[in-house]
Amino acid sequence: MKKIPAHPPRDVRPGLWRSLRELGNDPEFARHLEAEFPRGAELYEESGLSKRDFLKLMGASMALAGVGLTGCRRPEAHLVPFTKGVEWTIPGKFLYYATAMPTRTGAVPLIASTTDGRPTKLEGNPLHPFSNGGTDGFAQAAILDLYDPHRAKSFTDKGKTTDAAAFDAFLQSVGQGGGKGVAFLVEKKNSPTRDRLRAEVERNFPGVLWAEYEPLGDSEAEAAAAAAFGPGTRLLPKFDRADVILALDSDFLNPIETGIGYAAGFSARRNPDQMGAPMNRLYVVENHFTLTGGMADHRLRCRVSDLGEFTRRLAAAVARRTGDPEIASILGACPKAEVHFDEAWITACANDLLANPGRSLVLTGPQTPAAVQVLVHAINSALGNLGSTLLGVVTPAPAAATITDLAKAMASGAVETLFIFGGNPAYNAPAELGFAALLPGVPDVVRLGLFEDETSKLARWHVPAAHFLESWGDARTYDGTYTTIQPMILPLWGGISELDILAKLLGSAAPGGPELVRATFESLVTGGAVSTAGGPDLLWNNVLRVGFLPASGFAPTPLNFSAAAAAPLAEKAGPAPGGLEIVFLQSSSVDDGRHANNSWLLETPDFVTKLTWDNAVLVSPATADALGIRANNFGKFEEIAQKLGNEIDYDLVADIVEITDGKRAIQAAAIVAPGHADDSLSIALGFGHKGVTALMEDVGFDAYPLRTAASPRVASGLSLKVTGRTYPMAQTQEHRSMEGRDLVREGTLDRYHGNPAFAQKMGMDAHIPPNISLYTHPALTSAEQWGMTVDLNTCTGCNACVVACQAENNVPVVGKAQVRKNRDMAWIRIDRYFAGEPDEPEMLAQTMMCQHCENAPCETVCPVNATVHSEDGLNLMAYNRCIGTRYCANNCPWKVRRFNYFDYNQRPLDQLYWGPLARKGMADSLKMAKNPNVTVRMRGVMEKCTFCIQRIEDAKISRLVEAGPTPKSETPISPFKVACQQACPSDSLVFGDVADPKSRVSQLRASGRGYTMFKYLNASPRVTYLARIKNPNPKMPGADKVGMANGTPHGGHGATHDPHNPAEAHQ
Amino acid sequence: MPGTATMIGEKPGDEEKEVVRPPLVLNKRTMGWISSYISSIVEERTPTWWWVSMGVTVPMTLMCLACLAYLVATGVGVWGNNHPVGWAWDITNFVFWIGIGHAGTLISAILFLTRQKWRTSINRAAEAMTLFAVVCAGIFPAFHVGRIWMVWFLAPVPNSNGIWQNFRSPLLWDVFAVSTYFTVSVLFWYTGLIPDLATIRDRCTSKIKKFVYGVMALGWRGGNRQWRHYEAAYLILAGLSTPLVLSVHSVVSFDFATSVIPGWHTTIFPPYFVAGAIFGGFAMVLTIMIPACALYKPLHDLVTVNHVDKMCKIILLTGSIVGYAYLMELFIAWYGGNPYERAAFWYRAVGPYWWAYAAMMFCNVVAPQLFWFKYFRTHLLWVWIIVQFPNMGMWFERFVIIATTLSRDFTPSAWGMFHPTWVDICTFAGTFGLFTTLFLIFIRFLPMICMFEVKAVLPEADPHHGEARH
Repeated sequence: MKKIPAHPPRDVRPGLWRSLRELGNDPEFARHLEAEFPRGAELYEESGLSKRDFLKLMGASMALAGVGLTGCRRPEAHLVPFTKGVEWTIPGKFLYYATAMPTRTGAVPLIASTTDGRPTKLEGNPLHPFSNGGTDGFAQAAILDLYDPHRAKSFTDKGKTTDAAAFDAFLQSVGQGGGKGVAFLVEKKNSPTRDRLRAEVERNFPGVLWAEYEPLGDSEAEAAAAAAFGPGTRLLPKFDRADVILALDSDFLNPIETGIGYAAGFSARRNPDQMGAPMNRLYVVENHFTLTGGMADHRLRCRVSDLGEFTRRLAAAVARRTGDPEIASILGACPKAEVHFDEAWITACANDLLANPGRSLVLTGPQTPAAVQVLVHAINSALGNLGSTLLGVVTPAPAAATITDLAKAMASGAVETLFIFGGNPAYNAPAELGFAALLPGVPDVVRLGLFEDETSKLARWHVPAAHFLESWGDARTYDGTYTTIQPMILPLWGGISELDILAKLLGSAAPGGPELVRATFESLVTGGAVSTAGGPDLLWNNVLRVGFLPASGFAPTPLNFSAAAAAPLAEKAGPAPGGLEIVFLQSSSVDDGRHANNSWLLETPDFVTKLTWDNAVLVSPATADALGIRANNFGKFEEIAQKLGNEIDYDLVADIVEITDGKRAIQAAAIVAPGHADDSLSIALGFGHKGVTALMEDVGFDAYPLRTAASPRVASGLSLKVTGRTYPMAQTQEHRSMEGRDLVREGTLDRYHGNPAFAQKMGMDAHIPPNISLYTHPALTSAEQWGMTVDLNTCTGCNACVVACQAENNVPVVGKAQVRKNRDMAWIRIDRYFAGEPDEPEMLAQTMMCQHCENAPCETVCPVNATVHSEDGLNLMAYNRCIGTRYCANNCPWKVRRFNYFDYNQRPLDQLYWGPLARKGMADSLKMAKNPNVTVRMRGVMEKCTFCIQRIEDAKISRLVEAGPTPKSETPISPFKVACQQACPSDSLVFGDVADPKSRVSQLRASGRGYTMFKYLNASPRVTYLARIKNPNPKMPGADKVGMANGTPHGGHGATHDPHNPAEAHQ
Repeated sequence: MPGTATMIGEKPGDEEKEVVRPPLVLNKRTMGWISSYISSIVEERTPTWWWVSMGVTVPMTLMCLACLAYLVATGVGVWGNNHPVGWAWDITNFVFWIGIGHAGTLISAILFLTRQKWRTSINRAAEAMTLFAVVCAGIFPAFHVGRIWMVWFLAPVPNSNGIWQNFRSPLLWDVFAVSTYFTVSVLFWYTGLIPDLATIRDRCTSKIKKFVYGVMALGWRGGNRQWRHYEAAYLILAGLSTPLVLSVHSVVSFDFATSVIPGWHTTIFPPYFVAGAIFGGFAMVLTIMIPACALYKPLHDLVTVNHVDKMCKIILLTGSIVGYAYLMELFIAWYGGNPYERAAFWYRAVGPYWWAYAAMMFCNVVAPQLFWFKYFRTHLLWVWIIVQFPNMGMWFERFVIIATTLSRDFTPSAWGMFHPTWVDICTFAGTFGLFTTLFLIFIRFLPMICMFEVKAVLPEADPHHGEARH
């Protein structure tokens, strides 16, 4: 009710007045005051309608109007400000803290971005010595694990929910029991604090059994290094010093195998334009295509079972030339096998290695049998690589029992209380142990885990684990640098860490995480040679601030190969060759199964197969033929099209096969993998969980039942039969061939030196007439012009950028059924093509995102102006304006635009088709994972890569602040990275201002290798690709086919085949 | 103009020879018979077959509406569209229906301007068909968007954001072209209806009917002034419609032709689309007129075999134009030397959707060749069977152009197949229900043949009728 503001009654002589007219209080002034307020306002006063009457009338009319509409109220919502300002917090700005993600090989050093006290993004720590600031996909996806609504949220005792106090009481009783029958099964972690607490536990409770188990551990490598070089020795390869590298069943470029750091050293030497050193050359021997195999200059397919014999022959070739006595004595101990290899390959490879003594490097994977590992050490020793490309350090990690030892103790009844920290042994323990059957025999099993999984179900206690972003900890990275892990947020669901449990077991009164870690740190500093100048507090704070203790790597040790000590290992024969073998791989999605509930990772396609939401048995085309496995089970129409000369590979429906070793069998879908070794199968571990969470159901196939402790890498002597059942699979990329189109361009080093701009005149680009445009484009007026380069020479296709983009840009997950319908939402994808023969193809990776064309085909066709160009050269999407005609996506030659066909952000994936009946809204915890600076897109809207416009704008705003009153044009924008670039471990993505000739991106764009795709369309993309350069050894068999994915050079442009005939381009 | 036209073919030198033209109305039907018979269709008791037909088509219409409601409530994902096939059955159906919507106005306007008298008995129904086809067509572009509640962004209304439409986008031209076409077609059709509505009004027995038809007849008395105004208005609207017939499908083809996608990016599209539209439109006219005449047998005196024969000839002509365009596309793809273009057409013919291409080729190019034979042009059952091929073939043509092109374009990594879902199928099937329902309502309540125009082509309408010939 509006009241006319009557002027307050006045004194005769006012003390204060605001105007002379007020002083006079004449009628005109009163009218003026009235006129201030809406006409009719005074009527309310005089209408005789009392407030009570009014309320009655209004109430009645509201009641009438409200019949049946009472539910139409807007829900009440409150915006509650912080009652106290949080230290350092500036609303809308990120706070950054250094932490690390523990891994089996050490840790991935990280910088966490937090908003309002919640971490939303993880980046590599660029200051850390064992990191170039890159990360891997797992580290990028760790944010989702933290907020995963499926996480275990309560303490349970025999299946009943209880609380932390009950568990504390239990721990106390265990502590008072003196530790009799106590055993631990833990994941491998290089955590000094855990080692310290373990030592205390072992001191307090003599007879404690401490076992460590990693399904994908490196015990074979450790054993071989210990035998060859002395106990605790670890080898650190130095890729930046290696000219020639031979990888034997080693995927060292995959950051998930060894932690970050290898790809950086390798890619630094992969540059054909580098000064002072030749570009490196990579030989790879492997059974299935890996990232490393895709980067190889020469690749040999080899069954893993035959790897020992291959290495022996290589060692023999080296021994013949060098006459090295150590290698000869090892060779004498090695058993021989009858396997056919291309001897010319071995000879030429050995000669190349021998031609580069001290600058070559032979590597093998961490699970390669120790017998082969010692041969590799002998070869490196004979080549003089020890101390130059291979450095030795000593790890002080105390020895631990194996899971086999633990299983024996459990079977004998010696274990009464078993603490299982992390891991999931009921699911992934070696098959012959029957671990899941042993667990119920142990009276008190305590399981600390993020999820209530297979092991939790068999344990008495389930204790919710704190995520590494919720708890204190520390780790040594692979090189030994002491790295701190600090929490970013209080445990969301009251989880605790293994350090907490150990400390409580030791009876410490309310031990805090930071005190535990700091105590370790103090002992390290006082015991070691680290200077504590400035006081321990300052040092501790500085360490927390940068995330690591400088110069704290493991002590270096000279490497002296001891043939005598290694020979007994070499005598042990490897897996029996012959028959069918199956190789167990680390999954690019779920690792060994630990990320099985991470939908970001499940939907990130495998590097090579491009499979999502599943694993599969990989089999070579020839072996598939022999075993009767079909490449795809599709209809008659597709079969006819294939007969008409097309490569049809859509909508994969795979055969389900049964593989058995006689005792145990698994069933899994099998897919034909180009470049796979014959008579060999591969399958990724970590899938096929049953009854854990809804998300894990019907995802992939469990391969652990075929895996034994004795041979963790490979199982041989198998038989396979095709069951006749089929299984649909979801691939993000179905077509394999480039179809003679020069999308990824590559050449050899020789060709590049002969014509540095060869990549710019390939195929159709050689024929383009000069462009005469009828249309004058509006000038791009901004001083900064954004652009990107993608170096195909160093991009391995590792997916780190893909997951980073998903985390940064709130990209939704769509689920397997939707991926199968080609509706994945990734803004950045890695296209993978095969070129050449199906048996011996080359694999090419191409990172693909919005090209931000200056003359964008998408922009002209949008009827509502929802996609437009910015002055700084960005192709913008105005989500609010988009009505979703999808015309822009149709007209995009790169097909990088993504349309939200359902409300992927709002609806559960299994209720997408339920329409309004579906549950609406995402889990509260998942909302916390969203980047607050990026819109969460709704359904019916097109979206795509923005070049991380939020980071660009943030940098521009920061510049304004920095510039202050001076003109902003005089202040340069301080350097920043976009999300994919920041995550890239091999520095292949470079983003920046292309208008600044001094910027790195400008210089790379000017490189002779630089080319843009579909140049004839005149779209002028802002993304420049740098052609891939191969460095083949001309003496190798098949060297003439290396670097020829676009055909051999002739007549000034790059194709001998007829690129105009797609039928001919099929391979 | 009715009543004043002279017979074409009467030349001054031909006085001796009497030109015998086949009569347009058979059995010497009189003016009175025409009025009473055509009006009786509207006036008689609703026949059983009508209720039976409505019993089929109304549920189909409701199914279409239910599918659309489900689509809006759930998301475009209930259709099979995906990346890279952003447009599939939605735009295929749109172009299919809008193509059908060409025959009516073509018959009414272009044949009117070219004084083709045989048009008079089919133009009313053909125009109605046009309107109903455009209604069906309009559903798809409207509902295929992700956020239909924001579709008013396409209209150039001033808004607080100050954002205008993108006038470079062919999709916007499409909005204007189709809405203009629909508006003019409605006006043209309604204007032509007025004298006949008046006839019905005058014959009505019930008051309600008299009132309703009276309102619709807009006070037509049949006076000379009214006829003069009518003739002028009809001529103007015919003149307006004629370019629209050509422009609408040309603009629809710009959706594809102005894009960069190989297989879409081609200059042949506008004439080829227009020819295809006339082809498909005439096939649809025959598809519905033949059963209508079978139901009302005396109509055969008005819609004669001669009409059918002429329409079949047009189908043969336009089908051959379409066939020429298909071959020309292939030739240019080969001759042009653009590898992407070559690949696009190679995949159309022998790629995973080869069957759609083969179906298109057979239905549109091969099957209509039977119309070279008079037997097939004049045997009504054969005609009805054969014109189903253009009906199907034109749908396949649009599917081939839209979905198969998108499924394989520039970047092989992004290639993917489209599969329709049950919602795709039911929505499309439902539009046939809607189309037929509207048509059934039309023949039930409006004169389906233009009475006054047919009367004008009777011999008696000739002012010299009955005069001795020299």
